[in-house]
Parts: sequence; C-alpha cells; structure tokens
Amino acid sequence: MKKMTFLLLIASLILLSACSSNSEKVATTTDSGKKEITVWAWDPNFNIAALKLAKDRYVAKHPDVTVNIVEYAQNDIVQKMNAGLNSGSTKGLPNVVLIEDYRAQNFLQAYPDSFHDMSSTIKASDFADYKIGPTSYNGKQYGVPFDSGVMGLYVRTDYLEQAGYKVADLTNIDWDKFIEIGKAVKQKTGKEMLTQDPNDLGLIRGMIQAAGSWYLKEDGKTPNLAGNPALKEALLTYKSLFDANIVKMNADWSQFLAAFNSGAVASVPTGNWITPSIKAEASQSGKWAVVPFPKLKNIPESVNASSLGGSSWYVLNSDGQDTAADFLKETFGTDPELYQDMLSKIGIVGSLNAASSGKAYDVEDPYFGGDKVYKKFAEWTKQVPKVNYGLHTYAIEDIMTVEIQNYLNGKDVDAVLKDAQGQAEAQLK
Amino acid sequence: MKTAAPKITTTRLKAGMTGWLFISIAVIMIAAFYFYPMIQALILSFKTGTGSNLSFNGIDNYKRLFTDKMFITAVKNTFIYLIFQVPLMVILALFISVLLNDKNLKFKGFFRTAIFLPCITSLVAYSVVFKYLFSSDGLVNSLLLNLHVIGTPIQWITDPFWAKVTIIIAITWRWTGYNMIFYLSGLQNIDNSIYEAARIDGASPIRQFFSITVPLLKPIILFTSITSTIGTLQLFDEIMNITKGGPGNATSSISQYIYNLSFKYSSDFGYAATVSYSIVIMIIILSIIQFKVAGEKK
Repeated sequence: MKKMTFLLLIASLILLSACSSNSEKVATTTDSGKKEITVWAWDPNFNIAALKLAKDRYVAKHPDVTVNIVEYAQNDIVQKMNAGLNSGSTKGLPNVVLIEDYRAQNFLQAYPDSFHDMSSTIKASDFADYKIGPTSYNGKQYGVPFDSGVMGLYVRTDYLEQAGYKVADLTNIDWDKFIEIGKAVKQKTGKEMLTQDPNDLGLIRGMIQAAGSWYLKEDGKTPNLAGNPALKEALLTYKSLFDANIVKMNADWSQFLAAFNSGAVASVPTGNWITPSIKAEASQSGKWAVVPFPKLKNIPESVNASSLGGSSWYVLNSDGQDTAADFLKETFGTDPELYQDMLSKIGIVGSLNAASSGKAYDVEDPYFGGDKVYKKFAEWTKQVPKVNYGLHTYAIEDIMTVEIQNYLNGKDVDAVLKDAQGQAEAQLK
Repeated sequence: MKTAAPKITTTRLKAGMTGWLFISIAVIMIAAFYFYPMIQALILSFKTGTGSNLSFNGIDNYKRLFTDKMFITAVKNTFIYLIFQVPLMVILALFISVLLNDKNLKFKGFFRTAIFLPCITSLVAYSVVFKYLFSSDGLVNSLLLNLHVIGTPIQWITDPFWAKVTIIIAITWRWTGYNMIFYLSGLQNIDNSIYEAARIDGASPIRQFFSITVPLLKPIILFTSITSTIGTLQLFDEIMNITKGGPGNATSSISQYIYNLSFKYSSDFGYAATVSYSIVIMIIILSIIQFKVAGEKK
C-alpha cells in the first residue's frame, strides 16, 4: 500500500510538473521537410480570396505542397496567437498568419524569436515605404507587406449631382470643403454625408497619418497627444463633422456596411479594402466614384493620401517555416502576375511596387462610372506618409474615445489632449 | 489488547488509502486545472511586460489599479449594473415565481419554460439579437415611436446613459428565469399548512408574502443574490457583443477590461492578472457583506 501511495504521489508530481514545464519551445531552425502549411487570415472577400489565388498559383508549381487556408475573425487570430505564443508552444498555430500593421510591433516585440526572419527571402525595398516600419524590428524584415490599406473617399455621384456638385469638386480637397459639400448634400437630398461609429477612431487615424503624424512619437512608445498639431486639427475637424450634422451614427460593422449599401450616406472615407463591400450592392453600380482622401486644412505636411488598417503576412518559427517562407516569397513577395490577378478578380491593391502598374490597372470599372480606380489607388499608395504605429495604437485609442466623447460634449480641445496625454503616460509605462 | 490496537490502525489506514485512491484522480485534476492556474495567475499578477517578456515588479501592478482611470471607470460601471440589476432581478424573479406557484394557474409548464428559456440561449446569440432590437432604427425604437411614447428614436447603444440601460435590460432578461427556478423549488418546499393557518388567522396575501414566503426563502434569496453578484462582477459577453464597452468607456466592465489588456492592447498579461485578482477580492468582500446582512451564521 505504501508503494501505491508513493506511486500516486510521483504520478501526481509528474502530472503537475508536466503542466508547468516551459521547455517545449519548438526548434527554431530545422525544417522537418513537412510539406503542408496552414495560413490564417480574416475577411473572406478580401484576404481569403487573395490567398486562394496565391495558393492556386503556388500549388501549380509545387504539387508536393498542401496549403490549408483557415478563416478566423481578426480578434480570434489575435487571441489565439497570444495564447499560443505565450504558452511557448507553436502547436496549433499556423505557419503563416496575417497581422494588422497597427498590432505588428506588439507581436514582434512581445514574442521575439517567434517569427521567421524574412530579410533574406524578400527585398524590403520592393514594397511601399510606409509598410516597412510596422513589419520590421531591430533592422530585420519580418513581414511580407500585403494590404496597403490605402484610403480613398468613395462618393455617391448621384447625390452630389442633386446637390449641384461634380466629382471634380471633391478631388484633392481638404476637410473644410468636405464639410461644406456635406451640408449642401444634406440640405438637398436629406442624406448624411458619412457614417461613423463613436467607438472607432479610424477616421482620425487616417487624418493624422495623412499629415505624417501618429499617437506615439518616433520611438513608438512615448505618447504624442498634447501638443500634436495634426491630432488637434483632426479633432477640430472631427467635431466640425458632428456640428455640421452630416454624420449618421452606427454602432458596429454591419450597420456601417448597411449605411452605404442602403444608400443612407453620400460618401465613405476609408481603406481600399472596402471596395468589395461597396460593390456588393449591385443596384448602385455606376453611382459611385473614388477620389483622394481629403487632407487637413491647417497642416502644411498633410497630403491627399493615407492608410487605414493595412496588414501583412508573417511566418512563424516552427516546423515547415521554410516552405511557408517560400510560399510567401513566390506569391505575395515577388509575383506581379498574382497581383494583376487579385486586382482584376477581387479588386485588391497590394503594396508590392513592381505590381503597381500593368494591364489590370488600366481596366475601367463600370461600377465606378468607368473610372480607372485601381490605378488611382496604386498612385496614392506611393504618397502615403510613413509613420511608426508603435506598440500602443489601440490602448491610446481607448483613452481617446472617452476624451473625444467629452470633447464632443463641450470640453476644451487642449484640455482633452492634455488629459489624454496624462492618462496615456500613466498607463503605458 | 496489545495486538488489537495496531490491527485497527492497519484497517483504518487501508480504508483511508482506498478512499484516497478513489478521490486521487479528482484531486490531481482539480490541483492541475484549478489550483495550479490560480497560483500561476497570482504569480503573474506581480509581473510586468508584454507577451512573454515578463519581469517581476513587486506590488506595482496593484498600486497601478488605484490610479488607472479605465479600471476605475470599469469598476464604477460594474457596480452600477450591480446596484440596479441584482435587486431588480431578485425581486422580479421572486414576484414571477410566486405568480407561477399559484395552484389555479393554467399552462403553468408553458409559462415556466418561457421564462426559463432565455438562460439556456447562447450568450452571444442573444446579445446580437439585443443589439439589433435596440439599434437606433431597431424594433424597440420603432415600437415606441409607433405607440407615440417617444418623439425621436432613443440612441440605445450610442448614448452613454441608454447604453447602460440596454445592458441592464439584457442581463435581466437573460438571468431572471434562472433565479426564478430556485425560488420555485424553494416555494414548493414550504408546507401549504403554514399558508392555511395564516389564512385562517386572516392574513392578507401580501402579509403572507412578506411574513411567510420571504423569511422562509431567505437562504435562497441569499444564494441567488450572491451568485448574481458574482455573475455581474464577471460580466463580459453582453458588453463585448452589444456595446464593446462604448460609447467611450460608458459601459465597459472589469472583465472586458481584462480582455482588452490581454488582447486588444499590448498583451499586458501581468496587469490583466492583477485586475482579475481585484475581482476575486471584490467578490469575497461582497459575499461576506451579504452573509452579514442576511444574518447567516455559517
């Protein structure tokens, strides 16, 4: 019986220590020769659709490789990646994962050694300059830049005409002009100019990046809120939009989509990834046009181009990483033909410089009144100012959402920025 | 005598061993999957850093709690839910259960099922449905508009005040039936002769309710209010799915803040564990208070 107790004790100890063992870190360099890779991404109309095209092209050349594409919501990917990487085991994680640029530095710095160095696999200079900041760390290139996130102003030409404006009147404008036109549209058609979710400050992010500024300083860690002229101007502009009474409120993504698919708003200033969703409403074909993203009036550095929620591909340090790296290299990393395909079939503008011209870019899209919209997007991609998103975009945004509510309710703008700065400094040590 | 004593010890020991053998698997499992993570989380709450780059920083995380505006807002919000929702739900559940316990009521089974059904629906599914019911052009607004109760649509989800109201309505809808079941089973254990005696003495139904039903259900009322308090302190799904904590931080809860710290911001797992332990401490304190108020000795 004593033996029995002893055995039990040992067994329980083993069980417990097995749970606490942290030594399961996966070997980092060897490729076991496994020819099956798994890729995680979100958005079936955009990223997943692009992946399928890439997979078909790659597998045609490498029949020995199997590529599994798994679709998850972006939040789920972030959760699963954090949980997996934290446990020190890459089991259950994919070989290739799509990460939003705002979050990239967070992953690269929080889990060093977990991502495969792609510096020698792809050439960073082949991609849009502003995409390199988020995707590299310590001088090494980790991500393969993909979705440019380049912003445009999608406008309803029919509503504008009713209000007495042409597309040219909205081209390369600043936000003050946008508000002026918005008021006229509201008066003539009764439609709001744009829709906004008070919890999502994407528009402000777009505005400040267009002015070459961000919530954080160059180091990616120090909050840059109080005394940031671009951010202040963005807030003033944001409030003017609400004061002009041209904003339709929405509470989530589906209401956002419904706002323009149902014809309730006259414009959508957002990333080019919205194109498939805009075109999803076939009855509005020919009624849309795309013009450059408006700039901030009183900020001289501000340009008519910005980026919102772009994303890039990353390879995890685990079995099959060489196959995964090769997959990215041959597809999104170097293949201009693939980009032509993605553009003509799905309407995706990537950030590979070599792929910013070609036949597909000259195609006139009847949905946008026969305009060569993709050529426009590709040109704007080259103009997007480079900023360092750093580690804390979403943490600061949560502080800002509260302060912006206060601001919209009458608090002084300088006090708003000062308080936000104080909070951010206290929180982001 | 000398030989008998050790014999008993051996038998006892054997019996003890067999007992341990039976529960050993459960003990090991509980130790591995409950106590081990709890202790790990406690250790984690003294660490700081992002992702897997963690280092000990003493009680700094606990100090940070008191200066963290977002945490304080989340605690305030959670307590607002607690103060309004728990009494509301307990009283409502008690009221409904007394109605449904009426012997002369027809279709009792149907009503009981109908009121219990919400708490077996998926949390996410019902949250999403609520979000649509309460959206600015949703069913609730159009109903109120058509009945001329309101002139302009209420911004249920995008207004700080109404968003809290929406959350309270949602959780009350979901959990009232759950508490009702406890009261119903409690009511059925009260001997009917007590009520008969009361009626003979001329006690009105209201008097019967306050002088017989409530005192006899006290242990159950205590139980439901403690479980509801714990549930409210851990509130997550509704907030996450209906308002995402917004507008601003107007509806954020402590659990949602833990989620944000871990996954939305820069993976600050150490501080997130600290916030989790703050919930543990609050639950312990509130439970003690409730026991004291209810006058339970145990």
